Amino acid sequence: MNENRKMRRRGVSYAKWGYIFILPFFVSYIIFTLTPQIMTIYNSFFENYRNGLTQVGPNFVGLKNYVKLFTPDKSGTVDVLKYFGNTVLLWVMGAVPQILVALLLAVFFTSYRLNLKGQQFFKTVIYMPNLIMASAFSMLFFTLFSPVGPVNQVLLAAGWADKAIDFLSLKVPVRVLISLMNFLMWFGNTTILLMAGIQGIDQNMFEAAEIDGASSLQVFFRVTLPLLAPILVYTVITAMIGGLQMFDVPQILTNGKGTPDRASMTLVMYLNNYLQTSKNYGMAGAVSVVLFLVSSVLSLFVYNTLSRQYKEAPRKRDRI
Amino acid sequence: MKKIIAMLLALVMVLALCACGETAPAAPKTEEPAAEAPAAEAPAAEAPAEEAPAAEAPAEEAPADSEGKVLNIYAWNEEFKGFFEKYYTVPEGVTVNWIITPSDNGAYQQKLDEALLNQATAADDEKVDMFLAEADYIQKYVDSDYTQDITAMGVTDFSNTYKYTVQAASDANGVVKGVSFQCCPSALIYRRSIAKDVLGTEDPAEVQALLNSWDKFNAVAADAKAKGYLMTGSFAETYRVFSNNCTMPWVDENNNLQFDPQIEAWIDQTEEFVKNGYTLTAGVWDQEKNDQMFADGKVMCFFGPAWYFNFCMGNAMDPEKGCSGDWAICEGPAAHFWGGTWLLAPAGTDNASLVADIMNTFINNEEVCSKLVSEEAQFSNNMAVNAKFAEDPNYGSEFLGGQNDVAVFSAMTDNIVWQNHTVYDQLLNEGLQNNLREYFQGTVDKETALANFYKYINETYPAIVTP
Repeated sequence: MNENRKMRRRGVSYAKWGYIFILPFFVSYIIFTLTPQIMTIYNSFFENYRNGLTQVGPNFVGLKNYVKLFTPDKSGTVDVLKYFGNTVLLWVMGAVPQILVALLLAVFFTSYRLNLKGQQFFKTVIYMPNLIMASAFSMLFFTLFSPVGPVNQVLLAAGWADKAIDFLSLKVPVRVLISLMNFLMWFGNTTILLMAGIQGIDQNMFEAAEIDGASSLQVFFRVTLPLLAPILVYTVITAMIGGLQMFDVPQILTNGKGTPDRASMTLVMYLNNYLQTSKNYGMAGAVSVVLFLVSSVLSLFVYNTLSRQYKEAPRKRDRI
Repeated sequence: MKKIIAMLLALVMVLALCACGETAPAAPKTEEPAAEAPAAEAPAAEAPAEEAPAAEAPAEEAPADSEGKVLNIYAWNEEFKGFFEKYYTVPEGVTVNWIITPSDNGAYQQKLDEALLNQATAADDEKVDMFLAEADYIQKYVDSDYTQDITAMGVTDFSNTYKYTVQAASDANGVVKGVSFQCCPSALIYRRSIAKDVLGTEDPAEVQALLNSWDKFNAVAADAKAKGYLMTGSFAETYRVFSNNCTMPWVDENNNLQFDPQIEAWIDQTEEFVKNGYTLTAGVWDQEKNDQMFADGKVMCFFGPAWYFNFCMGNAMDPEKGCSGDWAICEGPAAHFWGGTWLLAPAGTDNASLVADIMNTFINNEEVCSKLVSEEAQFSNNMAVNAKFAEDPNYGSEFLGGQNDVAVFSAMTDNIVWQNHTVYDQLLNEGLQNNLREYFQGTVDKETALANFYKYINETYPAIVTP
C-alpha cells in the first residue's frame, strides 16, 4: 500500500506494471483454484456417479445431495457432523500441543540470554519429520503398532500385556496416534515460523522490559505474545485449514476405513470415499462445499478473536 | 521500447503458466511412444545379423508384424507375470508392459476402469491389450462392451477347460470373453501334526470324514481349543466356504441388498469362534495370521485353492521356520472355490492375435499346462493334463507330504457351480468383512457394524438400495 502511494506521488504512473507483474498469479489462481471451486459448487447440484462401468447422470437434482448429507441415520447421528467432529477433535489434539511446544521452543531458540549452542542442529532435527512423506510416516506407525509389531513384542516380552493388543482397533489409541503424528510432523515447521516472528520483534523491547525489572514470564506474556500476534494468527489459521483438510495420516493409518466405528474418519476421507469407486461427484461436491463454508467461517472467527488484541494495541498506545 | 519488452515478458510468463497446465497431462502420451520406439526397433535392427531366423520368423509370426509392438497387461499381483515370463516366449520386437495395481480397496478396478474408459481415444501403444480379473468382479467386465469375443480372435477350443471357468467369462448371451489359466476348487488345508494330536489321524480321507459338515467342524474346534490349538487363523477364514454356497446374489433384480442365509451362518459361526477363542481376529491376509503358518504356529485349518498354498503360504515353506511337508488337503465341510485369475481381451486391443495365442498357450498347450502343475504346483485349467497327474502314482506334492493334490482337486471340480455372482462382489465381500470385524473384536455392537457396512455401500455403490 505504502509503495503504491509513493509511486503515485512521483507523477508517472508505474502502477500498471505492478498489476501486470501480479497478473500471472491471478491468472493461475483463476485457472487452477477459482474455476475448480466454482465447478465443485456447480457439480454439487447434480446426480453424477459411476455404477461399475456405467455412468449415471449428470442429472440436475437441486439440493438433494445436501439434504442426503444432513439426513440423520437410524441411530440419529448425522454422518457429516460426526466426521466434522472427528476432524476437529483430531486437529485440536494435535494442534494445541503443537503450538504450545513450538512457542516454547521458539522463545528458547531466540532468547539472547539462553543463547543456546547448536541451534542450527536442533532446528534441523525438529524440522526433519516434516520432510518424511506423511504416507511413509503413517506406514511406519502402522507397522510399529500392528498386532505383530515391535511395540506389541516389547509389551509381551516385558510382561505388560498377556496377549497382543490390536491398537488400531481401539478408538483412543488410534486418535492419539494420529494426533501424535500430526504433532511430530508439524511442530518443527511452526517453531521456525514463530521464530521468524519473534526475531522480527525489536530486541530493544526485550531489553527495555528487563531493565524495567520484568520477569521472563512477564516478558513472554506482556511483550513477546502481543507483538507476535499477527504471526500467531497466521499460524493458527493455516494450521486450522490444514487440520480441517486432514487426510493423509488417518487415511494410511486406518487403511482408508477410519476405524474403529468410523471414529477416525475425517471430512476429506469421507469425501474421498465418494470419489474412489463410485466417482460420485455430486455427493463429493456437496461435502467439499460444506467443508469450504466451515473453513471460511472458522477462519474468520479465529482471525477476529485472535487479532482483536493486535488491532486494538495501537489505539491503547495512542492514549498513552 | 522498454514497455514493449516488459509487456512481452509478462505475457510470456502468463503463457508459460497456462501452457504448463494444459500440456502437462498430454506430455507423457506423446513422449512415451517416442521413447519406446527405439527399444522396439533395437531387436529388429539386430535381426538381420542372424538372417536365417529372421527369414523364418515372419512366416510364423506373420500377424504379429501387422500388430502393435507394445503389449500392455493389467494385473493386481505378480503371480501370472511370473508364469508368463517363464513359459511364454514373446515374439521378437514386442515389449511387454505390466501395469500392476494391488486390488485392496478396489484400487485395481479403479485403475483398470480408467484405462478401459479411455481405450477408444488412447494411442495404440497405450491401449490395454489384455487384463486379468478375479472371480469377484469378472462379471463387471464380461457383461460390458469393454471386452470382446475371444472366439472371433482365435481362441475356440474349450474342450479341456473346466466348465465353470468358461461360464464365468461368458456374458449373458453366452459370448466367451476370456479364459482362466487355473482352476480353483478350494480345499481345507490342515497341519498334519496338529490333526494327529486333535483328531488322532492325519490321513486325508479320515480327516475329511471327521470334518465333512459344519457341525463336526465346530465340534472339532472345541477339541482343538482344549488341546491349546486354534481351529482357524482369521475371523474370515471360512467366509468363502459359506459365501460360495449362497443361493442368492448380493442384490436382487431391483438392486436391493440381500443377506443370504449362508452369510448369516458365517456371522453366527464367527461370533462363536471369536467368543470361544477358536480363531484370531486377524484378516485373511494379515501377517498375524500368516505367522501362524510357521512350524510353531497353533492353527490347524486354512482354506484355499492351489494358488493359496503355493503363492500365499510362503511362511510354511520357509526353510528354517516353516513346516513344509506337515500339510495335507481334503474337501472340508462344503464344496467351494475361491478366486481364480482370468485373462480377458479388452475391446480395441491392437495385439489381438498375440493375446489369443497367449490364451491358447495357457489353456491348451499341454507342455505349458504340465509345467504349471509339476513345477509351479498349480491346478491347471486343462482336464487332460490334470487327469494325467491325478493318475500318476509317482506324482505328489512335497509341501503336502507327498499327497497328490491334483487328484483331490480333480475330484472336487464336479461340485463347482458358477452362480449368484454380481458386479459388486469384491467390494461387498471386503466391506462386510472389514465392518463386521469391529463387531467380532468387540469394538461395536452388531447393529452398528451393519449400519457402517451400509454406509460403506452407499459411498461405494450409490445404486444399491440398503435397508
